[in-house]
Amino acid sequence: MLEPLLGSKNRERILLYLRIRKEGYAREISRFFRTDLAPVQKQLERLENGGVLYSRSAGRTRLYGLNPRYPFLGDLRSLLDKALTFYPPEEREKLTMTRTRPRRKGKPL
Amino acid sequence: MKPVKKMSLGELAAFVCTQLRNHGIKAVLSGGGCVAIYTDSRYQSFDLDFIENVPTERRRIKEVLLEIGFIEKDRYFKHPGTDFIIEFPAGPLAVGGEPVREIEEIVFPTGRLELLSPTDCVKDRLAAFYHWNDRQCLEQALLVAEAKKIDVKEIRRWSAAEEKSVDFEAIRGRLMKAARKRNGS
Repeated sequence: MLEPLLGSKNRERILLYLRIRKEGYAREISRFFRTDLAPVQKQLERLENGGVLYSRSAGRTRLYGLNPRYPFLGDLRSLLDKALTFYPPEEREKLTMTRTRPRRKGKPL
Repeated sequence: MKPVKKMSLGELAAFVCTQLRNHGIKAVLSGGGCVAIYTDSRYQSFDLDFIENVPTERRRIKEVLLEIGFIEKDRYFKHPGTDFIIEFPAGPLAVGGEPVREIEEIVFPTGRLELLSPTDCVKDRLAAFYHWNDRQCLEQALLVAEAKKIDVKEIRRWSAAEEKSVDFEAIRGRLMKAARKRNGS
Protein backbone atom coordinates (compact mmCIF):
# COMPACT_ATOMS: atom_id res chain seq x y z
CA MET A 1 0.00 0.00 0.00
CA LEU A 2 2.72 2.46 1.00
CA GLU A 3 5.35 0.54 -0.93
CA PRO A 4 5.58 3.04 -3.84
CA LEU A 5 6.22 5.79 -1.30
CA LEU A 6 8.50 3.89 1.07
CA GLY A 7 10.34 1.97 -1.62
CA SER A 8 10.03 -1.42 0.04
CA LYS A 9 7.30 -3.79 1.15
CA ASN A 10 9.28 -4.80 4.21
CA ARG A 11 9.72 -1.20 5.23
CA GLU A 12 5.93 -0.76 5.15
CA ARG A 13 5.45 -3.94 7.16
CA ILE A 14 8.02 -2.94 9.76
CA LEU A 15 6.56 0.52 10.26
CA LEU A 16 3.00 -0.80 10.54
CA TYR A 17 4.10 -3.48 12.95
CA LEU A 18 5.92 -0.99 15.17
CA ARG A 19 3.07 1.50 14.98
CA ILE A 20 0.73 -1.10 16.45
CA ARG A 21 3.01 -3.15 18.68
CA LYS A 22 5.24 -0.25 19.84
CA GLU A 23 8.38 -2.43 19.85
CA GLY A 24 9.60 -5.51 18.05
CA TYR A 25 12.69 -7.41 16.98
CA ALA A 26 13.77 -8.60 13.56
CA ARG A 27 12.96 -12.29 13.91
CA GLU A 28 9.56 -11.58 15.43
CA ILE A 29 8.64 -9.20 12.60
CA SER A 30 9.87 -11.53 9.87
CA ARG A 31 7.96 -14.46 11.42
CA PHE A 32 4.80 -12.41 11.70
CA PHE A 33 4.87 -11.51 8.00
CA ARG A 34 6.30 -14.91 6.99
CA THR A 35 9.21 -13.33 5.24
CA ASP A 36 12.98 -13.76 5.27
CA LEU A 37 14.93 -12.42 8.19
CA ALA A 38 17.82 -10.75 6.35
CA PRO A 39 15.77 -8.16 4.38
CA VAL A 40 13.88 -7.23 7.55
CA GLN A 41 17.16 -6.76 9.43
CA LYS A 42 18.49 -4.64 6.58
CA GLN A 43 15.43 -2.38 6.55
CA LEU A 44 15.46 -2.04 10.34
CA GLU A 45 19.07 -0.91 10.17
CA ARG A 46 18.34 1.57 7.40
CA LEU A 47 15.37 3.03 9.23
CA GLU A 48 17.45 3.37 12.38
CA ASN A 49 20.31 5.07 10.51
CA GLY A 50 17.75 7.47 9.06
CA GLY A 51 16.52 8.39 12.54
CA VAL A 52 13.05 6.94 11.97
CA LEU A 53 13.54 4.10 14.46
CA TYR A 54 15.43 3.72 17.69
CA SER A 55 16.86 0.48 18.97
CA ARG A 56 17.80 -0.80 22.39
CA SER A 57 19.15 -4.10 23.58
CA ALA A 58 17.15 -6.31 25.93
CA GLY A 59 19.33 -9.26 26.88
CA ARG A 60 20.54 -10.67 23.59
CA THR A 61 17.71 -9.16 21.58
CA ARG A 62 17.72 -5.82 19.76
CA LEU A 63 14.34 -4.18 20.09
CA TYR A 64 13.19 -1.49 17.66
CA GLY A 65 10.50 1.16 17.92
CA LEU A 66 9.40 4.39 16.24
CA ASN A 67 11.83 7.11 17.32
CA PRO A 68 9.97 9.67 19.47
CA ARG A 69 12.58 12.27 18.42
CA TYR A 70 11.93 11.83 14.70
CA PRO A 71 10.65 15.25 13.58
CA PHE A 72 7.99 13.76 11.26
CA LEU A 73 6.75 11.17 13.73
CA GLY A 74 3.26 12.67 14.07
CA ASP A 75 2.79 12.75 10.31
CA LEU A 76 4.22 9.25 9.91
CA ARG A 77 1.81 7.90 12.52
CA SER A 78 -1.13 9.54 10.74
CA LEU A 79 -0.03 8.03 7.43
CA LEU A 80 0.36 4.56 8.95
CA ASP A 81 -3.00 4.82 10.72
CA LYS A 82 -4.66 5.78 7.46
CA ALA A 83 -2.92 2.94 5.58
CA LEU A 84 -4.07 0.51 8.24
CA THR A 85 -7.72 1.39 7.63
CA PHE A 86 -7.27 0.09 4.07
CA TYR A 87 -5.97 -3.28 5.22
CA PRO A 88 -8.42 -6.20 5.20
CA PRO A 89 -10.07 -6.56 8.65
CA GLU A 90 -8.49 -9.98 9.27
CA GLU A 91 -4.99 -8.58 8.60
CA ARG A 92 -5.66 -5.64 10.92
CA GLU A 93 -6.94 -7.96 13.58
CA LYS A 94 -3.88 -10.17 13.32
CA LEU A 95 -1.67 -7.15 13.94
CA THR A 96 -3.65 -5.71 16.80
CA MET A 97 -5.20 -8.68 18.59
CA THR A 98 -2.22 -10.42 20.07
CA ARG A 99 -1.80 -11.04 23.75
CA THR A 100 0.59 -8.40 25.10
CA ARG A 101 -0.25 -8.62 28.81
CA PRO A 102 2.19 -10.55 30.98
CA ARG A 103 1.93 -14.28 31.59
CA ARG A 104 3.64 -15.86 34.58
CA LYS A 105 6.34 -18.40 33.73
CA GLY A 106 5.10 -21.98 34.04
CA LYS A 107 1.40 -21.08 34.21
CA PRO A 108 -0.67 -23.87 32.62
CA LEU A 109 -2.71 -22.87 29.58
CA MET B 1 47.19 26.91 10.96
CA LYS B 2 47.28 24.80 14.12
CA PRO B 3 47.67 21.07 13.39
CA VAL B 4 44.54 18.97 13.91
CA LYS B 5 46.13 17.05 16.79
CA LYS B 6 46.49 20.29 18.80
CA MET B 7 42.97 21.59 18.17
CA SER B 8 40.37 21.79 20.95
CA LEU B 9 36.88 20.44 20.22
CA GLY B 10 35.62 23.92 19.32
CA GLU B 11 38.58 24.70 17.08
CA LEU B 12 38.26 21.39 15.29
CA ALA B 13 34.49 21.80 14.86
CA ALA B 14 35.05 25.27 13.36
CA PHE B 15 37.78 23.92 11.08
CA VAL B 16 35.55 21.10 9.81
CA CYS B 17 32.49 23.34 9.46
CA THR B 18 34.51 25.87 7.43
CA GLN B 19 36.01 23.16 5.23
CA LEU B 20 32.53 21.84 4.49
CA ARG B 21 31.13 25.33 3.85
CA ASN B 22 34.00 26.15 1.48
CA HIS B 23 32.84 23.18 -0.58
CA GLY B 24 29.19 24.23 -0.53
CA ILE B 25 28.09 21.87 2.24
CA LYS B 26 26.20 23.62 5.02
CA ALA B 27 26.32 21.66 8.25
CA VAL B 28 25.41 22.70 11.78
CA LEU B 29 26.94 21.29 14.96
CA SER B 30 24.41 19.64 17.24
CA GLY B 31 24.42 17.29 20.24
CA GLY B 32 27.01 16.97 23.01
CA GLY B 33 29.64 18.96 21.09
CA CYS B 34 27.55 22.12 21.55
CA VAL B 35 27.30 21.42 25.30
CA ALA B 36 31.10 21.08 25.52
CA ILE B 37 31.60 24.38 23.68
CA TYR B 38 29.03 26.34 25.70
CA THR B 39 30.28 25.02 29.04
CA ASP B 40 34.00 25.47 28.28
CA SER B 41 34.36 21.68 28.45
CA ARG B 42 32.76 21.28 31.90
CA TYR B 43 31.05 18.54 29.96
CA GLN B 44 33.50 16.60 27.80
CA SER B 45 32.53 15.18 24.47
CA PHE B 46 34.50 13.50 21.74
CA ASP B 47 31.65 13.46 19.25
CA LEU B 48 31.11 16.13 16.67
CA ASP B 49 27.61 15.61 15.30
CA PHE B 50 26.99 17.69 12.22
CA ILE B 51 23.52 17.91 10.72
CA GLU B 52 23.30 18.96 7.12
CA ASN B 53 20.79 21.66 6.29
CA VAL B 54 20.39 20.28 2.81
CA PRO B 55 21.30 16.61 2.34
CA THR B 56 24.54 16.02 0.43
CA GLU B 57 25.77 12.81 -1.14
CA ARG B 58 27.88 10.82 1.31
CA ARG B 59 30.56 10.44 -1.34
CA ARG B 60 30.95 14.21 -1.54
CA ILE B 61 31.34 14.59 2.25
CA LYS B 62 33.87 11.79 2.22
CA GLU B 63 35.98 13.59 -0.42
CA VAL B 64 35.85 16.94 1.37
CA LEU B 65 36.82 15.48 4.77
CA LEU B 66 39.58 13.38 3.23
CA GLU B 67 41.25 16.63 2.12
CA ILE B 68 41.79 17.50 5.81
CA GLY B 69 42.80 13.97 6.79
CA PHE B 70 39.54 12.46 8.04
CA ILE B 71 38.86 8.92 6.93
CA GLU B 72 35.46 7.24 6.98
CA LYS B 73 35.22 4.20 9.24
CA ASP B 74 31.80 2.56 9.62
CA ARG B 75 29.52 5.59 9.86
CA TYR B 76 32.12 7.87 11.46
CA PHE B 77 35.03 9.97 10.29
CA LYS B 78 38.31 9.64 12.17
CA HIS B 79 41.65 11.42 11.99
CA PRO B 80 44.88 9.71 13.05
CA GLY B 81 45.94 12.78 15.06
CA THR B 82 42.85 13.26 17.23
CA ASP B 83 40.41 11.32 19.40
CA PHE B 84 37.48 13.47 18.27
CA ILE B 85 35.17 11.76 15.82
CA ILE B 86 32.83 13.30 13.29
CA GLU B 87 29.39 11.95 12.53
CA PHE B 88 26.57 13.07 10.29
CA PRO B 89 23.35 11.89 11.95
CA ALA B 90 20.27 11.90 9.74
CA GLY B 91 18.57 15.29 9.40
CA PRO B 92 16.60 17.42 9.27
CA LEU B 93 18.04 19.99 11.63
CA ALA B 94 15.39 19.90 14.33
CA VAL B 95 14.80 20.03 18.05
CA GLY B 96 12.06 17.54 18.76
CA GLY B 97 9.33 18.05 16.19
CA GLU B 98 10.30 21.62 15.28
CA PRO B 99 12.84 22.89 12.76
CA VAL B 100 15.75 24.96 14.07
CA ARG B 101 15.16 28.57 13.08
CA GLU B 102 18.15 30.47 14.48
CA ILE B 103 21.67 29.24 14.09
CA GLU B 104 24.48 30.57 16.27
CA GLU B 105 27.93 31.39 14.91
CA ILE B 106 31.21 31.37 16.80
CA VAL B 107 34.49 32.38 15.22
CA PHE B 108 37.58 30.42 16.25
CA PRO B 109 41.14 30.99 14.95
CA THR B 110 40.55 27.85 12.83
CA GLY B 111 37.30 28.97 11.18
CA ARG B 112 33.66 29.88 11.66
CA LEU B 113 31.44 27.37 13.42
CA GLU B 114 27.68 27.19 12.99
CA LEU B 115 25.92 25.49 15.87
CA LEU B 116 22.66 25.28 17.80
CA SER B 117 21.91 28.32 19.96
CA PRO B 118 22.19 27.81 23.74
CA THR B 119 18.37 27.70 24.00
CA ASP B 120 18.10 25.08 21.22
CA CYS B 121 21.00 23.16 22.74
CA VAL B 122 19.05 22.97 26.02
CA LYS B 123 15.95 21.82 24.09
CA ASP B 124 18.02 19.19 22.29
CA ARG B 125 19.31 17.79 25.60
CA LEU B 126 15.86 17.99 27.19
CA ALA B 127 14.40 16.04 24.25
CA ALA B 128 16.70 13.15 25.19
CA PHE B 129 15.69 13.51 28.83
CA TYR B 130 11.97 13.68 28.02
CA HIS B 131 11.93 10.76 25.59
CA TRP B 132 14.66 8.47 26.93
CA ASN B 133 14.64 9.52 30.56
CA ASP B 134 18.37 10.19 30.13
CA ARG B 135 19.40 12.05 33.28
CA GLN B 136 22.90 12.78 31.94
CA CYS B 137 21.26 14.87 29.24
CA LEU B 138 19.24 16.76 31.86
CA GLU B 139 22.49 17.57 33.70
CA GLN B 140 24.02 18.75 30.41
CA ALA B 141 21.02 21.04 29.81
CA LEU B 142 21.49 22.53 33.30
CA LEU B 143 25.21 23.09 32.67
CA VAL B 144 24.38 25.05 29.51
CA ALA B 145 21.75 27.06 31.40
CA GLU B 146 24.41 27.93 34.00
CA ALA B 147 26.92 28.97 31.35
CA LYS B 148 24.85 30.79 28.73
CA LYS B 149 21.76 32.97 28.52
CA ILE B 150 18.76 30.86 27.61
CA ASP B 151 15.09 31.63 26.97
CA VAL B 152 13.20 29.64 29.60
CA LYS B 153 9.81 30.87 28.33
CA GLU B 154 10.62 29.53 24.87
CA ILE B 155 11.74 26.20 26.34
CA ARG B 156 8.45 26.01 28.22
CA ARG B 157 6.49 26.67 24.99
CA TRP B 158 8.51 24.08 23.10
CA SER B 159 8.06 21.51 25.89
CA ALA B 160 4.29 22.02 25.64
CA ALA B 161 4.47 21.49 21.86
CA GLU B 162 6.32 18.23 22.57
CA GLU B 163 3.49 17.29 24.95
CA LYS B 164 5.97 17.34 27.82
CA SER B 165 4.60 20.19 29.96
CA VAL B 166 4.40 17.97 33.04
CA ASP B 167 8.05 16.91 32.67
CA PHE B 168 9.07 20.52 32.10
CA GLU B 169 7.29 21.69 35.26
CA ALA B 170 9.14 18.98 37.19
CA ILE B 171 12.53 20.41 36.17
CA ARG B 172 11.60 24.11 35.80
CA GLY B 173 12.89 24.99 39.28
CA ARG B 174 16.31 23.48 38.54
CA LEU B 175 16.48 25.19 35.16
CA MET B 176 15.61 28.60 36.70
CA LYS B 177 18.14 28.03 39.46
CA ALA B 178 20.84 27.25 36.91
CA ALA B 179 19.95 30.36 34.90
CA ARG B 180 20.05 32.49 38.10
CA LYS B 181 23.46 31.05 38.95
CA ARG B 182 24.74 32.42 35.66
CA ASN B 183 23.48 35.87 36.63
CA GLY B 184 25.26 35.53 39.98
CA SER B 185 22.08 35.94 42.02
